[in-house]
Amino acid sequence: MGLQASVNAQFIKPAGSRQRDWLPYMLALPIIIYEGIFILIPIIQQFGSSFTSDIIGFGAAKGVGLANYERMLNDKFFWNSLRVTLVFMVATVIVAVGAGVIAAVLMNQRFRGRSVARAVMTLPWAFPDLPTVLVFYWILNPSFGVGNVFIRFFMPWLTENPKWLLDINLAMPLVVAIASWKAFPFYGLVTLSVMQSIPQELYEAAKVDGANTRQAFRYITLPALVPIIMLSGILACIFAFRQFVLIFLATGGGPGRVTETLVISLYKTAFRSFDFSYGATIGVSGFVVVFVITLLFVFLQHRQEAEAAR
Amino acid sequence: MSNLQTTAPNPGVLLFRWLRRLPLYVLVLLFCIITAFPIYWMIVSVIQPVEFSLNYPPPLYPLAVDLSPFQEIFQAENNLGRIDYWIGNSIVLSTMTTLISLFLTVLGAYALSGKRWRGQGIFGLLLLMTQMLPEALIVIPLYATLDRLNLKNNLFVLALVNTAFILPICIWILKNVFDTIPNEMRDAALVDGCTRMGVLWRIMLPISAPGLVAVGVVAFFYAWNEYLFAASLISNKEIYPAPVGLAAMISMVDTPIDRLMAGGLLFSIFPLIFYLLVQRYVVAGLTAGAVKG
Repeated sequence: MGLQASVNAQFIKPAGSRQRDWLPYMLALPIIIYEGIFILIPIIQQFGSSFTSDIIGFGAAKGVGLANYERMLNDKFFWNSLRVTLVFMVATVIVAVGAGVIAAVLMNQRFRGRSVARAVMTLPWAFPDLPTVLVFYWILNPSFGVGNVFIRFFMPWLTENPKWLLDINLAMPLVVAIASWKAFPFYGLVTLSVMQSIPQELYEAAKVDGANTRQAFRYITLPALVPIIMLSGILACIFAFRQFVLIFLATGGGPGRVTETLVISLYKTAFRSFDFSYGATIGVSGFVVVFVITLLFVFLQHRQEAEAAR
Repeated sequence: MSNLQTTAPNPGVLLFRWLRRLPLYVLVLLFCIITAFPIYWMIVSVIQPVEFSLNYPPPLYPLAVDLSPFQEIFQAENNLGRIDYWIGNSIVLSTMTTLISLFLTVLGAYALSGKRWRGQGIFGLLLLMTQMLPEALIVIPLYATLDRLNLKNNLFVLALVNTAFILPICIWILKNVFDTIPNEMRDAALVDGCTRMGVLWRIMLPISAPGLVAVGVVAFFYAWNEYLFAASLISNKEIYPAPVGLAAMISMVDTPIDRLMAGGLLFSIFPLIFYLLVQRYVVAGLTAGAVKG
């Protein structure tokens, strides 16, 4: 391939030539083929098997038309998983992006030990998923966890340790907290990089005009941050929708399905109940969600670029 | 201007200034405690003898130090699994993912950087869609196909799958690095008789070395972290990547907590060090990738 490309490159046409330049296509082709094999074909297969009945151990797949979709629309657990996904998504976006923006504002201040604080604040981002689950699982252990020590300190009237991840009311907030702990430094760093790109002259000009720090923040920093906060929000939605390992290993979707998001429900349908076709059907509904969010992302991004160009 | 003031401000002014900064320090401290405590706690749980950890309430700092869990996880007779093997598997898996990703990333980034071509927008959109796709949405058909082709329990195949998912982000990172190289440099090399693949090889890649490192780190730790595909495609205990092995240990009832934590800590050390070393490049790349889509 490299040889072919360099042969092409030997005959560079002068600017303005109408001859098509094939080099970018040669470069992009391997990637398109690669992603076609590993992403596109599975998507098509997924779509195809949603019209069949393929349960492991029950013989060959048979075509069943729209039966899986009919089942899905009448499945209260499917609607539950959509609701759980939405709650998890909205809560994680608010907590993670919110904490990220606050962290960015803090990291942007001048104070002694700032570089140490910045490194410490971004630690969770570098900490892998699995140890994250591991350590929170241990901290939130109802019998031995150090979380009990803290909760007893702040709420001394408690007579017994909370059940933490096994508590039907606490499981969701805790999963959101763990996911946000892991995710917020990323949004903090993204926001910080935008804050640092705001020209210093703007602040100096505002100072000359008699603006105080708060006004400078309100009229210079905040407007500059709005686009990146919106994009971060969309990205956070996507990441929350994708989130599998933290939820799956922390609660397994339980207790009583209160943390069973769409991807968890899909995985359990396929790999615990071995109902591949129905899992695939849930997957197809997931594509719709991803597609909508991605379009929203592209739309916002174009608007932001258009504004930047002005 | 301030260095024109030769007289020192009186103590009252200093105190006032300090008090006004107090909320900032309190908030920073709070954030640092929240981010550092779980990691600190993991370390404490490893280095203190397990009796202390299983005592309620646990002491908030280690009362004694015992490093034997680190030795225990390297011992062959440990029937709970071989964390050292699993970490070795993860190193192999992540290295393969990194090499495949680097090769394809260079091609993709070079295609996207430089003169626009017809279909470039669609190519970018396809990459973005792939980047947004949750792994769980294609794990079922991938599993079915690889099962039929007898390609399960194969770390190389797992590396290929991982590459498909991390490639878009890697391409955006490197494209943004390529874009910072002035066009004049490429043109000068072309005038000097360099082919365009030669420009890539002799000009673009050497200049973008830090970007390549960032891409390598991102790809490496994607594979290092990845659980879903690894857990569904690898069922042979011998070749478990570390996340799958550690997850299997969580669900065992009798897992000694200090050994489990020692495994988790060992598993986290590489990413923590690497990210701190290349944080600047990775953040610049990731943010550019995130903002530019």
